[in-house]
Amino acid sequence: MRRAIFAVIVTATGLVLLLSFKPHNVTAAAERPGVVSDPPAGDANGQAEAPATSGKKGTGTGKGTASGTDKGKGTASGAGKAAPKVTASPGSWSGDGASLGETAGEKVVGGAVADTRFGPVQVQLVLSDAKITGVQVLQAPQESRRDFSINSEALPILDQEALAAQSAQIDTVSGATYTSDGYVQSLQSALDRAGL
Amino acid sequence: MITDAPGDMTSDVSSDMTAGMTGDMTTGAIPAAAISAIGAGAVAVLGLWWANTPAVVGLDGWLTGAGRITGLLAGYAITVLLALMARIPVLEHGVGSDRLARWHSMGGRYVVCLAVSHTLLIIWGYAVTDGTGVVSETVTLNLTYPDVLKATVAVLLLVGVGIVSARAIRPRLRYETWFHLHFYTYLAAWLAFGHVLADGNEFIGNRPAQLAWYALYIGVALVLVWYRFLTPIRQALLHRFTVTRVIEEAPGVISIHIAGRRLDKLKIEPGQFFRWRFLTRGLWWSANPYSLSAAPRRSELRITVKDLGDHSRGLARIRPGTRVLAEGPYGSFTARRRTRRKVLLIAGGVGITPLRALFESIPAAPGDLTLLYRARTSEDLVFRTELEQISARRGTGLLYCVGPRSVVGDPFTPHSLTALVPHLPDHDVYVCGPTGMTGRVIPALRAAGVPRRRIHHESFEF
Repeated sequence: MRRAIFAVIVTATGLVLLLSFKPHNVTAAAERPGVVSDPPAGDANGQAEAPATSGKKGTGTGKGTASGTDKGKGTASGAGKAAPKVTASPGSWSGDGASLGETAGEKVVGGAVADTRFGPVQVQLVLSDAKITGVQVLQAPQESRRDFSINSEALPILDQEALAAQSAQIDTVSGATYTSDGYVQSLQSALDRAGL
Repeated sequence: MITDAPGDMTSDVSSDMTAGMTGDMTTGAIPAAAISAIGAGAVAVLGLWWANTPAVVGLDGWLTGAGRITGLLAGYAITVLLALMARIPVLEHGVGSDRLARWHSMGGRYVVCLAVSHTLLIIWGYAVTDGTGVVSETVTLNLTYPDVLKATVAVLLLVGVGIVSARAIRPRLRYETWFHLHFYTYLAAWLAFGHVLADGNEFIGNRPAQLAWYALYIGVALVLVWYRFLTPIRQALLHRFTVTRVIEEAPGVISIHIAGRRLDKLKIEPGQFFRWRFLTRGLWWSANPYSLSAAPRRSELRITVKDLGDHSRGLARIRPGTRVLAEGPYGSFTARRRTRRKVLLIAGGVGITPLRALFESIPAAPGDLTLLYRARTSEDLVFRTELEQISARRGTGLLYCVGPRSVVGDPFTPHSLTALVPHLPDHDVYVCGPTGMTGRVIPALRAAGVPRRRIHHESFEF
């Protein structure tokens, strides 16, 4: 019995210590007002952290809004949290080479919307001489924090796979099976439309 | 995947038993190494969390973080629990089966607590994040997150097994029922596996972590299949154990003689035990640990079993010619532990079995070896003739203590032990008997001046 109590105490203490060693605010200066109530500060929090988040995930040109949904939810409460969620639809997912879409000689082809268990997935391709030079995710599930964090890991992987394979024959990203399936469907439809 | 693996999940039940001892010097390195390896794995798992957590923000951050850590630890620890029971020879010999079983039972409770904490903390943390109630969050988690429903079943199975293993309920169950329920832990491990990779923040998009997790689970599964399934079959083919005789030694106590080929290859030491699986209807499904009650002969082994449950009762009906699967030998309750010239053996009831083998074989000059044998009535003294013959031949001391405690008093006081055994502090003492008895004998020996490292005990429980 004494050993059981000891184990519980050691585990609980260890947990608290481990958690307490992690940073508890994203940008130390703005943290307190942001958390308490001030919506602009909350937004600033989300924005401030956006490059860090997307940088870590390797997505390149992360748009502030979407990243705000991820971590902003942790920090900013109330109004600050709802705002990015609403605005984050098309374009909130970055894509490899997506910015090349505007240059001459390139063609943009949208894929069909593929419905998955967690929500619709849609991609569009940037094509140059029948070659995929970019993939942009127009929409993907991001309603819950889990969806967002899963997809912000998985989509860049899928983008790279698509660029490498130059087709829709790409591997499913484990842990993001549904998104992967939807991605492949939408990608295939875009390729079909482009006649590839 | 491994739900059909035969064998019992723990060995602290049924009649006589196993080895393992606190403070044993010869085997101290292996338990320490095992503990270190287990600890290193836990640190690696925590490191995985640490590397994947940029910050812990807000109440939900703390709750979810704690939920992830407990979940990772539970997922890791369940493989440790299964590995402890996988009959890995280096652990069985180096740590001792009874200590492994104790670790397993303590760890089992811990894993159930971790899994429950993980479940509750994650639900709570996610509910705080999403600003919903815990009930609706529970529903959301189960219905929308991949494999979480299976994990819920897994945690309920673990809690169920934990409850029936609890001290209050366990004695009311048949050993067989309790034993079968333990197989659901394999099912639980398998059910919970999916949600770790599908939903675990540390694993999504982290290929090395996924591979390590697969390696851990597949590795443990292979070890289980190899040592608990294939090894007994290989031994059975090699040694072809068969029951030759069944003899009643005392009321409710029988000896079973088992013949086998190439027994020398087993390198059996007196005091060790095998896990026996008798291939008859009603007995084939469980492998029970019984010590050898005589030093092994060239082609025959003997075990002695007291009627303590359905399994040992069923053994009385075994016919000569019955085939037997045996796993072993296991246990370190042998002459190797001895460090002194003088040896005292203390047996209680059917705990005599491994001590009978040691009494016959442990090297000792006349006068250096003494056996104290406690039994409730004189009919319960098994091997009486044999023990007296050995005593006469080897010139060893043999003392019986018979009668209910209310009549004869407590024979195991520091005073009485010192009076019975001259130079008691100079002895290595081997103790085997029911838990109640060993619980009285060991403190009495310590009080009489025997150092802890020279008290070797083997407990058997019902």
